[in-house]
Amino acid sequence: MDPAKLLEEISKDFGLSLESCNDIRRLEEIRTDYLGRKGKLNLVLKDIPSFAPEERKEVGSRANLLKDDFSIRLDALKFELEKKLKSETTGSLDVTLPGVEPGIGTRHPLTLTINRICDIFVSLGFEIAEGPEIESEFYNFEALNIPLDHPSRDAFDTFYVKGKYVLRSHTSNVQIRLMEKNEPPVQAIMPGRVYRPDAVDASHSFMFHQVEGLLVSETVRFSDLKGILMNFCKSMFGPDIKMRMRPHFFPFTEPSVEVDISCANCAGVGCRVCSGNGWLEILGAGMVNPKVFEAVKYDTSKYRGFAFGMGVERIAMLLYGIEDIRLFYENDVRFLRQFA
Amino acid sequence: MAARNDGNCFGAVIMKLSYNWIKDYLDLAATPDELARALTMSGSEVGCVEDKDGDKIMELEITSNRPDCLNIIGLAREASAVFDIDLKLPDFAIPKKVPSFAKASEGRHGPLSIVHSPISCLIQDPNLCPYYTARVISGVKVLPGSGKVKKLIEALGMRSVNNIVDITNFCLMELGQPLHAFDLDKIEGGKIIVRVAKEGEKIVTIDGVERELHEGMLVIADAQKPVAIAGVMGGLGTEVTDATKNILLESAYFNPLSVRRTARKLAISTDSSYRFERGVDKGMIVNSSNRAATMMTAGGGGIGALIECGELKVKPVEINVGVGAMARILGVPLEVGSVKKVFTRLGMTVCASKADQLTVRVPGFREDIKTATDLGEEALRIYGYEKVPATMPDIFPSTVRKGHSRLVKERLTELLVSSGLSEIITYSLIKEAASDRFSGITGNKVSLMNPLSEDQKFLTPHLLDGMLKAVSFNLNRKTKDLGLFEIGKIYSERPDGSYDEIDTLCLAFTGSRPANVAEGAREFGFYDLKGVIENVLSRVRVEIDLAGKDMDFLSGGAEISLRGKGPAGFIGEVTKNILSQYDIEQKVFILQIRLQDIYRTAAIKSVHNPIPRFPFSERDISILCPAGTEYGSVRASIMDLADDLVRSVDFLDVYSGDNIPKGMKSVTISIQYGLSSRTLEADEIEKAHLKVKSALSSRLGVSFR
Repeated sequence: MDPAKLLEEISKDFGLSLESCNDIRRLEEIRTDYLGRKGKLNLVLKDIPSFAPEERKEVGSRANLLKDDFSIRLDALKFELEKKLKSETTGSLDVTLPGVEPGIGTRHPLTLTINRICDIFVSLGFEIAEGPEIESEFYNFEALNIPLDHPSRDAFDTFYVKGKYVLRSHTSNVQIRLMEKNEPPVQAIMPGRVYRPDAVDASHSFMFHQVEGLLVSETVRFSDLKGILMNFCKSMFGPDIKMRMRPHFFPFTEPSVEVDISCANCAGVGCRVCSGNGWLEILGAGMVNPKVFEAVKYDTSKYRGFAFGMGVERIAMLLYGIEDIRLFYENDVRFLRQFA
Repeated sequence: MAARNDGNCFGAVIMKLSYNWIKDYLDLAATPDELARALTMSGSEVGCVEDKDGDKIMELEITSNRPDCLNIIGLAREASAVFDIDLKLPDFAIPKKVPSFAKASEGRHGPLSIVHSPISCLIQDPNLCPYYTARVISGVKVLPGSGKVKKLIEALGMRSVNNIVDITNFCLMELGQPLHAFDLDKIEGGKIIVRVAKEGEKIVTIDGVERELHEGMLVIADAQKPVAIAGVMGGLGTEVTDATKNILLESAYFNPLSVRRTARKLAISTDSSYRFERGVDKGMIVNSSNRAATMMTAGGGGIGALIECGELKVKPVEINVGVGAMARILGVPLEVGSVKKVFTRLGMTVCASKADQLTVRVPGFREDIKTATDLGEEALRIYGYEKVPATMPDIFPSTVRKGHSRLVKERLTELLVSSGLSEIITYSLIKEAASDRFSGITGNKVSLMNPLSEDQKFLTPHLLDGMLKAVSFNLNRKTKDLGLFEIGKIYSERPDGSYDEIDTLCLAFTGSRPANVAEGAREFGFYDLKGVIENVLSRVRVEIDLAGKDMDFLSGGAEISLRGKGPAGFIGEVTKNILSQYDIEQKVFILQIRLQDIYRTAAIKSVHNPIPRFPFSERDISILCPAGTEYGSVRASIMDLADDLVRSVDFLDVYSGDNIPKGMKSVTISIQYGLSSRTLEADEIEKAHLKVKSALSSRLGVSFR
């Protein structure tokens, strides 16, 4: 066939194919048919050597022009089709239907609180230590300078297991075990479960959690305890929180303090949460009593230390505004899902 | 007044303080609020402050090391140190004008009506009572309580009884020394004997309760009978009544431990007993007797000579302390002069001082002060904790801040949460029936000797009871679809009498995965539970195998083994029988696995393996096998070949029904073949695949579809 005519025909066919094309896959087939390596235009170009010399240049330039033209028209149509497709998709999507939940669960608020407390101290270089809940009286009492038959033991109405074993009434037992095994310096934070025979009500539980901290070195001072606890309180409850220390008594520390923070609920003015006095007691602390060091055979002339302990439930209640301790152990998922 | 039992109070008790009363001993400029704050910040925490008849009554929490603050003068001494003002003590001498037995039978108040045979006192057990005094006060008029004494003791929450008893209570509150007034005429045989009770001996105490005494309890007795439980409570028979004319006034020191044991055994705690338990001021025993006697005879009557028994050894405590060292340890700039003044205000005597070295003599009422450290606390608490600077310690960071098991536990918690489960925390104390309910999985039971109730008597030997209770709790509140987990301890006694506490994981699914736009609601099943645990553990490089095992409380139960390490737990559907005991009416799938075993094999550190550069080839294969053939054995038949070219075996489908003969099933798996060094040729793959097929048919006798 006359090559010019042939090209004319190809151009016409291409126009018809394009007119009837309404999806992108078909469009790409057309592109291959006409512009591909073995496409119609290339077949013509391949035959050029067989044409008369005067036709060669003419056919060649015409075919290349068509190539450009086809390509432009294909791209234009593709753009149109894609636009159409997008608007169709958009139209059929109900964006208000609920998404498919990937099923992310929740950590218990007490776990979250323990982790938050521990993380603050871990970042200060403290290690996490743990110890047994069924503990001998030695580790729970005697080594901590709490002698039998002393009124200070009254607070420790304690669950007895058998013989000299008790359910630990605080995590302070871990301090003793840690110091027995390690020479100073010691820097540890000790979370765990503790038990006291208190009947269950909104603010009491026979089982609860504590985090205890200990630092022993040759240089530590009482003012360092204040600095560390101040940093903790602000990290935990916010930089605007105020902290105060009051003298107190614990058998295993001397001097001993109780630590209050300003009530976040009323900014220290006084409200129901803080029983009207603007302060909330959150932990007990003090310089380690040398008697405790004697129990773990530390050189009392050389080493000093501070220790502190806090109730996790109490802190979680303040942190999240929970008013009944029993909620932690009921495990109502409507409660659990509120914490992340 | 009552012992407090919440928090870290270490035997603290509540003491009430009247603002008007304390002003009798101080020229106090501070307002009630300022006083409350000062006491709180020096260690006697003021709870509430109440208005009462123009007075302010404060409730203080007194720690067990400070019995000296269990009286108004003790608190006044604290205030005198904080405010740096003088403490004014009352005059303890008996006024000369009061008739005394020794010399006169007639005095200012008229003739004494009755003359007594002398009373004799005897201490039989000087360990339990080293020192006892008594004195006769005669010719008193017992009247209803009145005036200032009544007002003050009532302000402190005590009940007015009569003028005589009110005075003993007034002195108790003012000076801290418990006194007891007997009706002298009810004392038989003219004798007071301080002795231990005979086993089974009885006394009716002033509260009207008959109490049986035991050997070792100290009593005050007359010639016939006990008339008081020493330091705890007086007897009804010898109490002061309207008819009483003559009094025997007791003021003594009882062994703190003895009083404590007796009070605890009898389950009574009185204003008297807990003061003796904590130790009364040895220097105030005679003073108190004098003061009470003087007050009792203010309206008439005579005071007998003090009858003393035994002796009190008061060993003076002297402590050397360096103010400089003290300041360094506390991190506070203390000055010698002000420290000296604080010690003096607190009743101590600074005997000698050179430069910053002080020798301090501690008064008898401060038995809590024994060392320089104790003195440091005294100096600091009066100086004010508020003035202490906040400094940072030298830090010695640990290089292993979290141990391996802690890291594994935290990682598993994260993974379980991202698998859609909610963490629960349950009580580790449960009742015996719940402990025993799941047979065959628990060690030797651990029980409490003094449980609060039978419901909390045993340390839980499994996490199943807590989990099923949580499931039940939620179902009852109409939350029907649950995925829960707990990481807790299970407890058992070892043969040697010590105890095991094993970190354990419990998982449960019940109800359905809720519907969404992509798929409808689907009931949770065994494979949801298995899938979670397999996937989560694989992330810490722990692989598990399941093998069917019959357990009483599970249907379709299986034992979980750590690959190559042996059994570590179980999984299955809880039986209807068990569920009914928790009022659960829908299926619950549960799993328990010991984490202790997992810690040993778990890997927290990730190790990089190069990603294969050459593509693997996949061949699917459908096997026709008896319905009882386990997928695990199909997989194992292939893996056991240990063929270099087999990269993985993946499950695709299991099917029985149309086109499958009865009693048979079709299992479809997909096998990946490949090498990391090059792409396999087609004939190599075919050869390997044939080898797999022949192994399957020879080992399991299966055919291929």
